[in-house]
Amino acid sequence: MTFREINTKMVEATVLPGQRLFSQRGAMLAYRGEVSFTPSVQGGQGGVMSMIGRRVAGEATPLMSVEGSGTVFFGHGGHHVHVINLTGDTLYVEADRLLAFEGTLRQGTMFMGSQGGVMGLVRGQVTGQGLFTTTLQGQGSVAVMAHGGVFEIPITPQRPVHVDPQAYVAHHGDVRNRLSTALGWRDMVGRGSGEAFQLELSGSGTVYVQASEEKL
Amino acid sequence: MSAYGTPGGPVVHDPVTLPADDNVNKYTFCVELKGGEWFLQKGKMIAYYGAIEFNGIGHGRLDRLVRTSFHSPLHASDWVVAAGSGKMLLADRAFDVNSYDLDDGNLTIRAGNLLAFQPSLALKQSIVPGFLTLIGTGKFVAASNGPVVFLEPPIRVDPQALVGWADCPSPCHHYDHGYLTGVMGGLRAMTGLGGASGEEHQFEFVGAGTVLLQSSETLMAERATGVVPPEPGVPGGGGAAPGGHGPQSSAAPRLPGQLGDLQRRFGL
Repeated sequence: MTFREINTKMVEATVLPGQRLFSQRGAMLAYRGEVSFTPSVQGGQGGVMSMIGRRVAGEATPLMSVEGSGTVFFGHGGHHVHVINLTGDTLYVEADRLLAFEGTLRQGTMFMGSQGGVMGLVRGQVTGQGLFTTTLQGQGSVAVMAHGGVFEIPITPQRPVHVDPQAYVAHHGDVRNRLSTALGWRDMVGRGSGEAFQLELSGSGTVYVQASEEKL
Repeated sequence: MSAYGTPGGPVVHDPVTLPADDNVNKYTFCVELKGGEWFLQKGKMIAYYGAIEFNGIGHGRLDRLVRTSFHSPLHASDWVVAAGSGKMLLADRAFDVNSYDLDDGNLTIRAGNLLAFQPSLALKQSIVPGFLTLIGTGKFVAASNGPVVFLEPPIRVDPQALVGWADCPSPCHHYDHGYLTGVMGGLRAMTGLGGASGEEHQFEFVGAGTVLLQSSETLMAERATGVVPPEPGVPGGGGAAPGGHGPQSSAAPRLPGQLGDLQRRFGL
């Protein structure tokens, strides 16, 4: 386990020689040992084509690679931090929510339209994910930032989960998501409940939700 | 907790149930005054019970107290003395608030983070600009963004995450610019391509002691700590040493895309 939560807003990462971490630039709080922080031009892994892909998709959050041997403390902007362990499946998360992740994870960019076509695009707009989102796949752990505390809700085939798009943080597993609308005439005349759009996640996996509707 | 505080509802306090010199919750601290005095930063008192007087520092009556435990006359205008008996609540913009006990020790803290202290402690301006040193025995209250984490040196700390340090020597600057050397690094420094990691500069602590770290890099508003007298030999005093070793001015305008200060620091 690379990341250890020290308190709700801070994680401790162990860096070993030959293992690489990626973290958001400027998110290091303190470190022990000999550790070097190099800004990653490519903004992550996967070579130049991946870099171009990320730049085009607007998912190119400034990252730095952390190498050496020692302990590093990460935290950023007073946001709450949550550690997610991945065992082979794919995590879908916005790139600017990534605080740090292990170099063993494969980073990719996904077009929102590839999940549900036009509705996928609409969904991206409503959740603030934009047209693209970042995927992380493989074995390893990720430290994700959120405004307010994070809690996880399991998704089972019988029980789809509805999440407020603004409170959605990330999800992993075999999950289909869909924007469900509950627009009625009340919304049209400005007397809506303010909950006209919801994100419906079904399948099996986990969704991470923040206890706030504020963006990062 | 009072009887009329409904279960699950908000906890209702009264003068008796309020803790004495302890936290009410993560964000509020309660000070009990029994005829004594406390120094507090202006505007940090949110409520009080009893008969407490708040006096600005600089009046004749408090002269002796200020002389013995407040050695930073230049920022006296930021502080008030609470005297009387009762209980008062201290808080600061929903930051985490904690009290710390010093036992014949010394602790240096970022000036914006210190909320209040007992007059048995002496407050002095640290030689590190923007920091204050507390010396003696007593209690003080400090705010931090997120819980404070205590770490032992040797450690290098991001300047923004540092709250303070106790018992160890003052920190020194540590610059790490390994990635700006070599051919690619030179190219990077020349063009500004690839950006900076934001972690080129840390405070390095060595020796025995404790370093206090806050878990985020959002700073509290800077508090004026007063200016040191302009004398030669006083760091930050503005007294230019003979020989022209004063603050260097960068005459050349900065080109877009350049690394700014970094380049000057690394002599590029």
